[in-house]
Amino acid sequence: MSGLKPVNEKARLLEKAAAEGHVEEVTAMESVAGCATTFDPGWEVDPFGGVASLCQPMEADLYGCSDPCWWPAQVPDTLNTYPAWDAGKPSAQNDWRELDAVFPEK
Amino acid sequence: MKHLLLRCLVLLGPAFALPALAAPPDPSAVRAHCSGCHRESSPGHFDRISDMRKTPEGWEMTLFRMHQVHGVVLDDDARTQVLRYLTSVGGLAPAEAAPARFALERRPNVQDLSLGDEMGVMCGRCHSLARAALQRRDAPEWLKLAHTHVGQWPTLEYQQSGRDRFWWESATKELPAKLAALYPLDTPAWRKWSAGTHASPVGRWLVWGHAPGRGDYHGTAVIAARGTDGYSATYTLTYADGTALNGTSKSVVYTGYEWRGSATLGQDDVREVYALSEDGARLSGRWFVNGHAEVGGDWHAARAEGAPAVFAVLPRALRAGAATEVVVVGRGLGTSPAFGAGVTASAVKALPDGLHATLAVAADAAPGVRPVTAGGARNADAAVVYAKIDRVVIEPQYGIARVGGGKVAPVIGQFEAVGYIDAAGKPGGIALGPLPASWSVAPHDEQAKAAEDVKFTGTMDASGKFLPAVAGPDPQRPFSGNNVGDLAVIGTVKDGDRSVSGKAHLVVTVQRWNTPPIY
Repeated sequence: MSGLKPVNEKARLLEKAAAEGHVEEVTAMESVAGCATTFDPGWEVDPFGGVASLCQPMEADLYGCSDPCWWPAQVPDTLNTYPAWDAGKPSAQNDWRELDAVFPEK
Repeated sequence: MKHLLLRCLVLLGPAFALPALAAPPDPSAVRAHCSGCHRESSPGHFDRISDMRKTPEGWEMTLFRMHQVHGVVLDDDARTQVLRYLTSVGGLAPAEAAPARFALERRPNVQDLSLGDEMGVMCGRCHSLARAALQRRDAPEWLKLAHTHVGQWPTLEYQQSGRDRFWWESATKELPAKLAALYPLDTPAWRKWSAGTHASPVGRWLVWGHAPGRGDYHGTAVIAARGTDGYSATYTLTYADGTALNGTSKSVVYTGYEWRGSATLGQDDVREVYALSEDGARLSGRWFVNGHAEVGGDWHAARAEGAPAVFAVLPRALRAGAATEVVVVGRGLGTSPAFGAGVTASAVKALPDGLHATLAVAADAAPGVRPVTAGGARNADAAVVYAKIDRVVIEPQYGIARVGGGKVAPVIGQFEAVGYIDAAGKPGGIALGPLPASWSVAPHDEQAKAAEDVKFTGTMDASGKFLPAVAGPDPQRPFSGNNVGDLAVIGTVKDGDRSVSGKAHLVVTVQRWNTPPIY
């Protein structure tokens, strides 16, 4: 890592957190059962356990997450498991209200 | 002869030692609906199906996947029969399910299991480690699960940082053996449990519990057999403020101890995820509102019949120099409960589930844990006397709420202010339990302040319940961002003339659409 320099705000925060020894703290906060820890930022939380670094608005990239099953435990993957999840809802920005949960409560 | 009969009944133990109502495992439904793909290689042994064990929710997720991915259609009766069989022959023993029951009970904002770095990366990056910990397989079957994952979610390479490490080597050569060592198919616990006779829940119970944001409750439950393989229950419960929390339930007990009920409790339709203790003396777990699993309450129940016992004092915390109305939940408590020096009980009144008393706590009563005795029974730490609150800890310390709207409901955040007193020899102090508090929210950090997260993310009510704002792009926010944000939650408890506050972090985040019974 010594050859890398942070070039944006998120990278600077990451470097600061590591320098201040907060890496373990960040890991613990992200481990709330049910939240994804895949990638930084994750689906629900960013590397600091908050939301400031999440993709916003989420709808701008929602289908970019569901098509390649990026966070399959949170967002239904249309690649294999739920191919019709977003059928007839071409615009996440306009159609988000019509998107349904895939495991209905009994 | 009469004496002989009586002695026999005594030797047999209490009435609840009778076998539970449960149909003997009948593979015919699995044979009819599953064996087209899962070959019955020997009588009652179906390929793959018989090589793993799961909880009722785990098998429910399997049946859902069989429907979603492979087109299996089961009507309600068939589904019930299949589920009964699978949980009978391939369930988890009580001790095996215990460490991860929080996931079955849908407890919000709990820290997941910690199973080491590799398990955390391989399994815990996408779903809870509890999901893996609530299954039992041998190494070859765990290996097949890795292959199933890659087949179903081929972009798994991304999640595993496949460019940077030999993750498939680990997934196929190291992890199956590790998982099989941690969670093997054949265990002494399961052999013993599956061969045993299990207690029936039928009978009368004493009930107590706590619903975060609402308070303690107590009362009685009567459980009766329903048909040949189910149970019905009637609840007569009361919150501490006197509000009734009555209800009825219909339930099934899977694997000899896993109570799953659909109930009406107060104004709510709820799900019950309880476990009958191995000796059949306790029924405990959590209930939660249908469609809002984050809203619910702890549930404790003990048999109404039995030797004198003190189960709980509600509330647990007794302030020195004040009078407190308490309910002691227990059996055979008599009329003279004792709470130790400096605490005097009066106006003792019998209740169906124990007794009610007014306690006068002297101003100089010694702070600390108090044993409570009643009717010859003793509970070593049922109550705590305190002179002043030293700290308030907001629980959860780190909470998740989710915006909602359209077809997906919001996930609310419920906070409680738990008081503590310092005590010699107890580094963490002594917990007083949740206390009445006033609530507010503030920006968690400078970024949250600049983004006006407090304004956009939702509202906090007087009970510590945060109600998130509506989902979707919000044109009032930069780049039409969602109403997500980072908040500090502040709870303040009045303690005489002073106030004691605690703070927690609330993340209001985006919705999720994949909501299985085990996250």
